Amino acid sequence: MSSENNISLSPSSICHYLTKYSFFGYLACRLMTIVETRALSKTFRSGLIRSSRVEALKAVDLSVTRGEIFGLLGPNGAGKTTFVKILLSIAYPTSGDAQVFGHKLGAIHIRKKSGYLPENHRYPPFLTGLQTLLLFGGLHGLKGPSLMQKARSLLERVGLKDWMNVKIKRYSKGMLQRLGMAQALLNNPELLFLDEPTDGVDPVGRKEIRDVLKDLRAQGATIFLNSHLLSEVELICDRVAILDKGQVLRVGTISDITAPQLEYEIQVVTPLPQRLVDSIGLVAKNVRAEGKLLHVAVPDTRALNQVIDLLRRDGIFIETLTAKRASLEDYFIQVLKSGEAT
Amino acid sequence: MKILSMIIFSVREAILRGTLIFYFAVGNLIILFVALAVNASPDGSSIVVLGNPIPAKSLMGVSPVDFILIQLQRSSASAIMFLGIFAIAGIIPSMLEKGTAELFLSKPLSRTTLFLSRAIGSTVAIGLNILYFAVAIWLIFGVKIGVWHWGFLLSALMVVVAFAFYYSVVALVSLVTRSQALAIMLGFLFWFLAGALESRQAGLYNLWSNDIYRRTLDVIYYVTPQVSGMLQNATRLIGMNPYDRMLGPQAVSDFSIMPFVFSLLSASAIYALASWYFSRQDY
Ligand SMILES: Nc1ncnc2c1ncn2[C@@H]1O[C@H](COP(=O)(O)OP(=O)(O)OP(=O)(O)O)[C@@H](O)[C@H]1O
Ligand SMILES: [Mg+2]
Repeated sequence: MSSENNISLSPSSICHYLTKYSFFGYLACRLMTIVETRALSKTFRSGLIRSSRVEALKAVDLSVTRGEIFGLLGPNGAGKTTFVKILLSIAYPTSGDAQVFGHKLGAIHIRKKSGYLPENHRYPPFLTGLQTLLLFGGLHGLKGPSLMQKARSLLERVGLKDWMNVKIKRYSKGMLQRLGMAQALLNNPELLFLDEPTDGVDPVGRKEIRDVLKDLRAQGATIFLNSHLLSEVELICDRVAILDKGQVLRVGTISDITAPQLEYEIQVVTPLPQRLVDSIGLVAKNVRAEGKLLHVAVPDTRALNQVIDLLRRDGIFIETLTAKRASLEDYFIQVLKSGEAT
Repeated sequence: MKILSMIIFSVREAILRGTLIFYFAVGNLIILFVALAVNASPDGSSIVVLGNPIPAKSLMGVSPVDFILIQLQRSSASAIMFLGIFAIAGIIPSMLEKGTAELFLSKPLSRTTLFLSRAIGSTVAIGLNILYFAVAIWLIFGVKIGVWHWGFLLSALMVVVAFAFYYSVVALVSLVTRSQALAIMLGFLFWFLAGALESRQAGLYNLWSNDIYRRTLDVIYYVTPQVSGMLQNATRLIGMNPYDRMLGPQAVSDFSIMPFVFSLLSASAIYALASWYFSRQDY
């Protein structure tokens, strides 16, 4: 369990309070907002004769605050990739609009200060890893020894030092992903878009990528992450949005989303009297006693300790205490189900 | 500069395609052959090919040097037009493949810049090959025979220009279809069509004696790059063209810049149309 989902002072929560309590706070927040979309919609039309329409995004309103790691979650085809592509002007919105760094969509400035790791990215196979970085660095306007140095240090950082002079067609999937990560960091982006960054990467590599992301956040970068890997999102994201069929179903911090559902299993040595179970029911929810096993759902750690106090006051010995926190995954599936129902 | 990085990368990608390597290899063999086979006659009045002196006035009234240079230029120009399409019809589609397009389009370059640097890179790759061959042949004739034929060099340069204009059609097709195969096929189709249009008075006109039909052919001829016209005129820069001779005594043999001017206009329009199309597409 991560410790980050207790009371967090993430940029987004600071922003939330600033906005709530003062006009200047509101202004400051506007400056802190790095991505803001208003009713952003995208309909793909394809086929001339039997034309088909796909509404990939339906009036999406989202804002991302400077310095946070924002996760966009959703099932396949939800519109996550489309959303990012529109922000980078790789695709164009059908209606609605958006601002990135305070610039209107399409401004070259946005791409200058952003990094992007696309999903299923493919590099010219005749280049080596180092040549690839030199090419894309050149497209960012970098050149000379500083570009060379940057490329080499990034390759080292993503663990491709020994592979930098090998042709890309010989790279494995995880190595390509690492190269993609390095490519996205060439211009020291203030805003980094990552589409499934850990796709195909081994567990050690995933941890390394998470560490890189945490470093970047510490340096003040904003990270926008598209993912289905909820357990991973849970480990690093400050805030998440859940997107389904082009619509935003929920937005919030991970702790906002999952904290009300902290659940525990307490194994005791002697069966519990009903009277005790009833009094526990006053501080906890979903109280169920099955022989020597007690299930409780509590809003926070304080309530959990109250339950323990009650048990101990009755002289009950506790053998084990197991957290059954509802994971983001449980929540994700639950939200998608209720989304379908509506 | 960003655009320069993109152009250099495109040149590199085009040059590494198999067909250009083949052209380069065959070109080198021909250069070697010419270097060994062509000599000045001992008295310096004529040239000797593989030990056979070539009499000055036997070749349909064309000087032997001009004749040989015209043959070399025509075959190298046809070869590069043919092989070149295979080499670079895929340059734009390769940038637009899923997974690659996102990488390039997310960089701080305008789409027009991206597209044009691909087109320029392709043309430079072809141009380097044409000029390499031409300069080598030019040096051989200069050093061994003492003929420094500037018209031959200029002619090679005009072939490069002709290619750049012709390539606008291939680039547009490959941009819209994102398919190398279609770009190759339509590129060749256009090449043959351009040939037919060039000599339409003698051919296509006679298919249907309808005035609107004939005017339509004229319009198509003038709004598309005049590939055959440009190549013919490039050859005329070398000297009196024996093929013009064969058309009859009244055939015009002087170089005309007009096909290049018309093609410049139509290629510019095609490149502009392609840039406009590209800047509106979703990838
Ligand atoms: N170029 C396109 N033309 C037509 N439809 C498209 C295009 N790109 C995306 N779509 C459609 O838009 C919808 C959203 O696609 P998108 O790639 O954004 O989903 P996603 O959330 O990224 O999915 P995944 O998790 O599988 O990557 C899908 O239904 C897809 O079929
Ligand atoms: Mg996607």
